[in-house]
Amino acid sequence: MHTDARTLENGSVVAGDLCIVGAGAAGIAMALEWIGAERRVLLLEGGGFDYEPRMQELYRGEIAGLPYFPLEAARLHYFGGTTGHWAGFCSTFDALDFEWRDWVPHSGWPIGRADLDPFYPRAHQVLGIGPYEWEAEQWRRRDPALVPFALDPKIAWTKMWQFSAPARLGTLYREQIVGASDVHLFTHANVVEIEANEGATAIEGMRVRTFEGKELRFRAPRYVLACSTIQNARLLLASNARATAGLGNGNDLVGRYFMEHLEMPSGNLVLTRTPAPATRMYAFEFGRTKARGEMALSPEVQRERRILNATVSLEPAPLEGAAQSTFQWGTPEVVERMRTQRVVPDAAATADSMAVRAEPRTFHLMTRQEQAPNPDSRVTLSGDRDALGVPRARLDWRLTELDRRSFRDFYEVLGREMGRAGIGRMQMRDWVMERADAPWPSSLGGGWHHMGTTRMHPDPKRGVVDASCRVHGIGNLWIAGAAVYPTAGCVNPTLTLVALTLRLSDHLKSATA
Amino acid sequence: MHRRHFLQLASVTTLGALASGCRAAREYDALTLTHPELLKALGAERVRTIGERYRATTRGESDAESLRQAIDHSRPAASRILGAAGPSVADLVREDFEKGRTVVVDGWVLSRTEARQCALYSITRPA
Repeated sequence: MHTDARTLENGSVVAGDLCIVGAGAAGIAMALEWIGAERRVLLLEGGGFDYEPRMQELYRGEIAGLPYFPLEAARLHYFGGTTGHWAGFCSTFDALDFEWRDWVPHSGWPIGRADLDPFYPRAHQVLGIGPYEWEAEQWRRRDPALVPFALDPKIAWTKMWQFSAPARLGTLYREQIVGASDVHLFTHANVVEIEANEGATAIEGMRVRTFEGKELRFRAPRYVLACSTIQNARLLLASNARATAGLGNGNDLVGRYFMEHLEMPSGNLVLTRTPAPATRMYAFEFGRTKARGEMALSPEVQRERRILNATVSLEPAPLEGAAQSTFQWGTPEVVERMRTQRVVPDAAATADSMAVRAEPRTFHLMTRQEQAPNPDSRVTLSGDRDALGVPRARLDWRLTELDRRSFRDFYEVLGREMGRAGIGRMQMRDWVMERADAPWPSSLGGGWHHMGTTRMHPDPKRGVVDASCRVHGIGNLWIAGAAVYPTAGCVNPTLTLVALTLRLSDHLKSATA
Repeated sequence: MHRRHFLQLASVTTLGALASGCRAAREYDALTLTHPELLKALGAERVRTIGERYRATTRGESDAESLRQAIDHSRPAASRILGAAGPSVADLVREDFEKGRTVVVDGWVLSRTEARQCALYSITRPA
């Protein structure tokens, strides 16, 4: 079912069995799970079915600390959420990503990779990616042209990625959700406050406001907040009628530990072997490539060097070519084109580009590195308010010396291994070789990936949600999405956040059975 | 001929042949020393730049003689002292990577030997 919330009477109260706030990747993945579950699910989406500038404007925020993308361009505020412009990059977290690492402060999840393993294949289906096969050799069997570099697995390995079409969840699942009798989607239903009981131990409802000035309430025994990392924190902090610091924020943790992936051009590779080793495994054509490899360092090396996890992709390019940061090329206009462009590229153009890249021998190296969890990297409330009266978010993105040092160590080790294997020679860019306390270069960039702010930890003094993703101290509020990540891994967050959401969904189903 | 004289003659002949072979190998290496394999992949200008940077930043390895000696000293003792046939320059480069004898010059992660080769190249083939 679907109702445009603007058509409801002012003061309406809508009741259900489960209320999901936000219809992006997490919200939609969860709603799909409840179709046929014989429960009345309320799915609240602030936007409509398409892009509306004034909805996006609600996401505008203040940038403090390091430079960052405009917040209103980094997330989409309509049904389908940011899958409306994502690039479809998927990979799984490594087992090490979940572990406590004594060299990474605040690392360690209360769950392990094995806890997510049952949910990853289900997440594949939601996002429309290929088989649950993540070993390079599995893909080589599917396509003999996909030959991984012969690296010493004790040092480095080829980590696989798979690419969704990319799936625009708002388009893919609109009919299914709108047609479901037990999921009731409300569009243009912007939550402006999470209403708690007097002791702030339980949620009593979601207060929704429309641009027309109507106020509505949505009530259910259980609530799931799934409106993205920054907006989740913003809403919890702004809901301070019963708890002055905001809901779930008794220990001043909501909004802290904001993390991104550091996606930065970091070096070059030139192949030295004759004939050149096959590189098709590492090639990527948007809209065509189903899987590719990126190079990563083994867990043993990460432990020994005490560095963060990262992968590096190969982009055919002349050595002299300048490399821009994601901030420099990923302007809001480019991001907007991601939303509106055809997914399948022009066939002739693709053939041309593949011909040019037929036997590349030189590559730019694009690193994607996890950010070390940092309590000072945080989302707070701005003094400014949006058109619905909610304080805007203020993002203070901060990095540490460990983030910086890890780049150099990564390239030293991988460069040595590439030489040892006789594949080629690697060159680090100047900024990679600078001291760990040097300022970040102008090529600093991120992946538009927002994680942290309501991190998972069994101890309420160290995390906002517990291992089931329930907000500590509040009996009926859970959080779905990358906001709960204690550490960021080095891969795009979408696949893992959908897997976590499916795990949460199973948990809630068993709790309501 | 007495057996003892025969053995002495045979030994001298064998050592002479070995020494001759070693000389040939080392003369070949002397040529390859100043022509790193990297030339094919990186081109003369980059190799020259790497060489100049290496010489400027590595104490005691700024002239051709010290660079040749440094490469020679990285050979196994049997090759260095006794003159026995030792590893080729290409072997030394491989060994450097195996054993972690790498340096970062102009951002490039290189074997110590090939960095020295680049340095020699920058001396013998200045811009």
